[in-house]
Amino acid sequence: MTAFKLTELMSIRCAKEIMDGEVVFVGVGLPLVVAGYAMKTHAKNMIMCTEGGAIRATSPPGLAITVDDPCLFTNADATYGMLATMAALQRGEIDVAFIGGAQIDKFGNINSTGVGDWAKKESFTYFAGSGGANDMATSGKRVLGILPQDKKKFVEKVDYITTPGFLGGPGQREKLGMIGNGPSCVVSTMGVYRFDEDTKEMYLAEYFPGQTVEKIKENCAWDLKVSPNVIETPSPTEEELRIIREIDPTGFYLG
Amino acid sequence: MGFLQKMMASLFQPKQKNEDKPKTEEGCMDIDKRMTLKDAVAKFIQDGDTVYYGGFQIHVPMALTHEIIRQKKRHLTTVESSTDVGGLDILVGAGCVTEIHTAWIMNWYVKAPYAIRRAFNKGHLKRHDISNFGATSALMAGFLGIPFIPVRGNIGTDMPIHNRKDIRFLEDPFTGEKITVVRAWRADVAIIHAQKADRLGNVVSYGTRGVTDEFGAMGTKRGVIVTAEEIVEPEEIRSDPDRVIVPYFKTLAVVHCPWGAHPSACRGYYGLDIRFSQYQGRYERHAELLPEFLDEWVYGCKDHAEYIEKYKEKFGQEGLDRLKPTLGFKPKLDIDYGYHDPAVWKGVPLYNDDRLKAYEEALAAKKGGN
Repeated sequence: MTAFKLTELMSIRCAKEIMDGEVVFVGVGLPLVVAGYAMKTHAKNMIMCTEGGAIRATSPPGLAITVDDPCLFTNADATYGMLATMAALQRGEIDVAFIGGAQIDKFGNINSTGVGDWAKKESFTYFAGSGGANDMATSGKRVLGILPQDKKKFVEKVDYITTPGFLGGPGQREKLGMIGNGPSCVVSTMGVYRFDEDTKEMYLAEYFPGQTVEKIKENCAWDLKVSPNVIETPSPTEEELRIIREIDPTGFYLG
Repeated sequence: MGFLQKMMASLFQPKQKNEDKPKTEEGCMDIDKRMTLKDAVAKFIQDGDTVYYGGFQIHVPMALTHEIIRQKKRHLTTVESSTDVGGLDILVGAGCVTEIHTAWIMNWYVKAPYAIRRAFNKGHLKRHDISNFGATSALMAGFLGIPFIPVRGNIGTDMPIHNRKDIRFLEDPFTGEKITVVRAWRADVAIIHAQKADRLGNVVSYGTRGVTDEFGAMGTKRGVIVTAEEIVEPEEIRSDPDRVIVPYFKTLAVVHCPWGAHPSACRGYYGLDIRFSQYQGRYERHAELLPEFLDEWVYGCKDHAEYIEKYKEKFGQEGLDRLKPTLGFKPKLDIDYGYHDPAVWKGVPLYNDDRLKAYEEALAAKKGGN
């Protein structure tokens, strides 16, 4: 078995959550690597949309560093603009909203704005901000998240809700008129999570090779529920690793 | 005359009568808006202005950013959706900006907006967060000349709690449901970078419609300052007008400025300079180091050409050569903007047939009978 990085396994595993033919709105960061991989492997009919305004039916010629990277627009199907691509979210035409973030809580709310107490300005450490993540998670039919995991990132309550998961629990999205159905799957550097249909709480569905349920629970700040059918994620194949490394040859995202 | 009156007077000089204005051979207006970077910023950006900040990862108006810093403009407010490579970070770090309205600000290559973080912590910067579509819609509302616009999104999160200046909720007058509305953003002036412009101020940008420059620019109250890689003739632009994102009447100043977006990318001219963004970002990271970066790369250069010369001295011509894009992607569609001259209808009788003729004659007879 070829040695692999957790970021590589995380990306390869996450790609499998994308079904062939789906319209995927791809956020900045690892989603760009994963979407490129999916389009080169099992999801050749995936349609990729980005905030930068690209709509493409083919894998980009190089690794896009951001959602506005010129390579996303080279031989794109449309260079449509931020307003027009994101309008597809509001019309309910996006199957998968695919995002990263800095912190996530048990209801799948994501923080990409910063950590600390915003109201106490001196204590708040700013990150980038929402970008399109908020719009994507509000209106995409389902949300796919990819985030590295530790206890500071998988928290009971995020410091700042940038992007809505299920907010405080069942029924809240509906009450606010959100047209998307909310988070469906989160892939971390340790395992794969899904959401309970009734409680809307995130639970562990798969653990990565080399990880244990105990270790994962230690790296999660709330009392994590575990599926009775939890399984070990298969290790990536050599072919899978070859393809993902081709997509990010300098290790900009995969390390 | 007080300061304000003087400022206003210099901004809004009495309009020339049309007959006094320069004309082209065809007799149409030909006002040459080309000027230096220095003059453009000195003339059209005032302390306290709200500025639309163009670009994203590409077409970031870096030469204009540097010039605003050089001229020590103060108390600016910026509006944009997303911006990368640390352009806005150094503008804040240099003390030019006191208020930002944004969805996303980064120097992605060091994974943080360090100067903005510090300015916020110290209370020197008001930051108003909104989502990308919220920001784009705010610019669209400005473009449309309406006061606000409904959007999905932002609701339920912390953004509307901390940014009441831009985000509120209304009852949909048609359905009674609660809906998010965002305030229209209309900047005083826009700063943008584009591939081509002509002396009149027609701005051509292509291959990257992702940025919201056309809305941010057209929504401005006073107009647009553009830096362009190339200055071309108006007839070249008029031969392909689909690509114009800002028509001349909205443009205040045109600055010929090769590499004007560096270290961000300019589609078809150069790619993103990741190594320089990281280099700049490592200076952004430390409050005590950033002034030294500004001294060397901004205050120490009289204009953008000097900045590029400095780059070559320090990192070599090969640094710039590495940014050359892969070309060979000219459009394959054969397009002709042909038009049809209605003069051909002169003398052509109306098309007719017996049925139509009989009907119309009967109708006329009936009317005559009344």
